[in-house]
Amino acid sequence: MKKELEHSFVTSLEKNQNIVHKICRLYTHDQESHNDLFQEITIQLWKAYPNFRGDSKFSTWMYRVALNTAITLYRKSKRQVKTQDFDSVMFRIKSDPYDDTQDKQLNLMYRAIKELNDIEKALVFLYLEDKSYKEVADTLGITEVNARVKMNRIKTKLKAIINP
Amino acid sequence: MDELELFKKEWQKKGEDLPKLSYEEIYKMLWKRSSSIVKWIFYISLIEFVFWISLDLVATLTGFRPQFDFPNSDIFLWSMYAIFYPVILYFIYSFYKNYNRINTTDNVKGLMNSIIKTRKTVKQYVWFNLIFFFLFSGILYLLLFKYDPTFFDLNGNESLNFYMVLILSIVLTLLFFSVLIWLFYRLIYGILLKRLHKNYRELEDLDL
Repeated sequence: MKKELEHSFVTSLEKNQNIVHKICRLYTHDQESHNDLFQEITIQLWKAYPNFRGDSKFSTWMYRVALNTAITLYRKSKRQVKTQDFDSVMFRIKSDPYDDTQDKQLNLMYRAIKELNDIEKALVFLYLEDKSYKEVADTLGITEVNARVKMNRIKTKLKAIINP
Repeated sequence: MDELELFKKEWQKKGEDLPKLSYEEIYKMLWKRSSSIVKWIFYISLIEFVFWISLDLVATLTGFRPQFDFPNSDIFLWSMYAIFYPVILYFIYSFYKNYNRINTTDNVKGLMNSIIKTRKTVKQYVWFNLIFFFLFSGILYLLLFKYDPTFFDLNGNESLNFYMVLILSIVLTLLFFSVLIWLFYRLIYGILLKRLHKNYRELEDLDL
């Protein structure tokens, strides 16, 4: 029974690991911290898994636990140094090679998002994952109206950062 | 097209440049130890509970507790236990209840709330111990001054100034310990929960 549980969990996580990696990239600045956070999220997901009832999609359930871990439970290691080196290789955009301006804009946007605070990052992350405002509000524990208002403010803020 | 919309399109396509962990690599992680702040809070709280209870137990078991000689001293001591231990048990129960409520599948604000609540229980527990300890000692001293001055090598004819200095020193000791504990909290929980409090405030502000 336990083996079955382990197997179904690891298989589901392996399939959906991109979600966790994306969160790790937003919330950490180097590979070591990325791996640390990935591991902590895995542990927390595994601890919560026996209570996962399957009435929602595994990926939907993952968003909450993973974001909760990144925002609240994870203790940033002291060794963590803020570095931009990791960031620059982190978002390689696969657009047309001659369209250099677009690449630059997207990289700028990525850097601007990384400068946001933890809560703003969570909002942007869920927006990028195409979640509805209702889901965003439910995940963060705020009202839908405020999620919408905050997201609009963040959009303006990001625009101002990349188009000074 | 809006920059963020463009970014969103790329973000959703993104995947090939992300790390890809194998089944075995993920499987191994299941057995690693968590280093989450909840675990830290749990251990620190456990130490705090054990510390304050053991102070009393050690004093009793090693016979360190001096014998007092004033009318009904036994009743006084037993009534202290009758107040102290039920309250301690209540704190432990309430800590256990709050700790169990910490749930990673809760929403972000709810999770933060239950962590803050759990920590508050422990904080109140420590303050209760401290206040109880000083109130109890204060009453005990008063009774001893009145009924058994020899306990302090006093002859009962000390001046008012003497008593004033004594009371002042008791108050200063209380202040000293309070500041010490306050500093301990600032340090331990400051490190652990600084980020949580900041994020909690941010969420609170959103709903104002």
